[in-house]
Amino acid sequence: MKIFIITFLIIPLFASLSSFIIKNKRFAEYISLFSSSLDLIGAFVILYFSISLKTVSIFNGAIVIDKFGSYIILLVSIVYFVSSMYGISYMRLAIEDEQMTDGEFFRYYLFLNLFALTMLIAPMINNMAIYLIDIELTTITSAFLVIAEVTEKSIEAAWKYIVIVSAGISLALLGTILFYLSGNIQGSGNIALSMDWTNLSLNAGYLNKDIVRFAFVLIVIGLGTKVGFAPMHTWLPDAHSEAPSPISSMLSASLLNTAMYGIMRYFNIAGENLGFNFPRTIMIITGLFSLFIGVMGIINQKTTKRLFAYSSIEHMSIISLGFGLGGIFGTFGALLQMLGHSLIKPVMFFGSGNFLHKYKTKDINKIKGAFYVMPKTAFLFSMGALALIGAPPSIIFISEFLIILQSLKNGYYWITVLLISFLIAAFVSLLSKTGSIVFGKADDNFNAEKGDFSPFSYVPMLLPLAACIILGFYIPHSLHSLLIGIVHIIK
Amino acid sequence: MLGYVMPLYVYVIEDLLVALILLSSFVMLSSRWISFYIHAYGFQSFLIFILTLVLGIESQNIDLYFVAFLTLFVRTIVVPYILLKMIKKFSIKEEVKLIIKIPLSIISGLLLTVFAYFLIYRLISPFSPKIVINASSIALSLIFIGFFMIISRFTTITHILGLLVIENGIFLLSVVVVPTLPIIVELVVLFDILVTVAAMLILSMFMKMRTGSFSTTMLNRLVG
Repeated sequence: MKIFIITFLIIPLFASLSSFIIKNKRFAEYISLFSSSLDLIGAFVILYFSISLKTVSIFNGAIVIDKFGSYIILLVSIVYFVSSMYGISYMRLAIEDEQMTDGEFFRYYLFLNLFALTMLIAPMINNMAIYLIDIELTTITSAFLVIAEVTEKSIEAAWKYIVIVSAGISLALLGTILFYLSGNIQGSGNIALSMDWTNLSLNAGYLNKDIVRFAFVLIVIGLGTKVGFAPMHTWLPDAHSEAPSPISSMLSASLLNTAMYGIMRYFNIAGENLGFNFPRTIMIITGLFSLFIGVMGIINQKTTKRLFAYSSIEHMSIISLGFGLGGIFGTFGALLQMLGHSLIKPVMFFGSGNFLHKYKTKDINKIKGAFYVMPKTAFLFSMGALALIGAPPSIIFISEFLIILQSLKNGYYWITVLLISFLIAAFVSLLSKTGSIVFGKADDNFNAEKGDFSPFSYVPMLLPLAACIILGFYIPHSLHSLLIGIVHIIK
Repeated sequence: MLGYVMPLYVYVIEDLLVALILLSSFVMLSSRWISFYIHAYGFQSFLIFILTLVLGIESQNIDLYFVAFLTLFVRTIVVPYILLKMIKKFSIKEEVKLIIKIPLSIISGLLLTVFAYFLIYRLISPFSPKIVINASSIALSLIFIGFFMIISRFTTITHILGLLVIENGIFLLSVVVVPTLPIIVELVVLFDILVTVAAMLILSMFMKMRTGSFSTTMLNRLVG
């Protein structure tokens, strides 16, 4: 198992370094695709191990992978795979259209695989301080990906991203140190001998309650910066809109989940210590406020990628709300929503990337009649938009339905009302905007060549979309039992 | 230092050092010139190094020696050297643009310090001696002052220094309150500082090449 995990992590490292050293464009493209497909297979193997052998614990407990961790690894590798496949088409077009230099091209492939590597490591790490540093490294690698094409706007986005998120991570680090302190003072019996989450959650009952309360709030603020909870979300739309499309999808669909994973580990520890009411209340409040900000952002947006960035904020806040409502349905729904978000967000960002290359703009008002210009992309894009807003049969419909059900079950009717009205607002505005993109009347003086780009531009949209719709009809027994297992880990 | 009984002279030194550390953060708040900021940061890190070394000697903790000398190397020498060299290379003589004027900054710093004291008092007073409360409240106020520096000054260098002051505060807090913190954590945090500073410097060089300035006031294109 040790050798397997090491190989699993060395593959992306090898891909990034070799593509940077050899400096052959075709080689860089295909080695990234190859390494991501190997890691996707590896993620399934890890998932299988963690289900059949309970918990994988190697290197003296430095790396611990339980069901929750392996689930996040799977989500990350799915997005890594589709993004590196789509990147082939996107970067070729970027070289043609936007005069991307060779240096920028190879830097992109160097940091793409490193970014994936840091995200794959994060759910494996047991020591929470090292986990946070790893999250900081994801920030730095992805900041260099945001400036893959160096423009004034992308520098601005990367700068905001790195400053805001580093400040947030340092707050989370403070929270982690306070968690450690809470187990190392008189009266707690010095039980927290390490910062491992396994150790902390084992001894959660003995931690000092006042400090845990303060520390958990710091963690939600700090890691919430990375997840994109309002009001710390301001970096998110900028970075998502200025990054190349494959990177936007990796940022949105896998990075946010990786940060959410950290919050849920602390959620468990704080809940075991204080009773679950306190962390749940905090998650519900952050979730509702971010939902409000996200939906308002969706309504106001005029460019495609910012629209979907705000939609990410909306999705993450629904996930937070689901975890906050708790219970079997709420947590199960939130986990399912994570999967749905990872599957469907790449479709939307890839579609916007294709439109960006065809229409040379991100402005929603200038992209019209995509159905007649590039039919395959437009078809997948509109299907993806329907799945994104939770129209059945998609996995997001099931997860949002379960979360609404849990809020009714808990008797929080006002949350139900708020959630449904926000969802309807997001539904209407997203549908009208994507509708005008796909079916609107094309500008008369628009004279680009009609037709889709190469298969690499729409096959990566097709695969996750198909998975999302099939899972909407039928959830396999293995996935069901996996998610139920994670629900018991979190609760 | 929680959980240890120290001789009196250590308490006196600790009190003196944390007071000087607080003073150096106020020097940053009250100055207009970037090189001043960097020197104050180096001085602050040097004081933290002495504090860590004294605590390490008294508690006979080998890890703390190691952490102290790494602090000396990374925070007192490498990072200020890189920043000063950068300033020399681009011959920055511009003043820092302040959104909040200096007297008001100092008053805000004072308020933040008092707030940090009350927060720490409320949190750890039941089980800790007074000296730990003093030192850790100053550590927390460093964190607050770092945030204040980020939001009130419009230069890339001061953003970096604000983050570094926050990290200094976290480090001081961890040394004073939880001296048994595993050493791997400190090492990784120091590594993280180096990487972050390097990344931010590269970004600000890109910014200088594109916009001709280190000022962040023109970063206002992406809104909404």
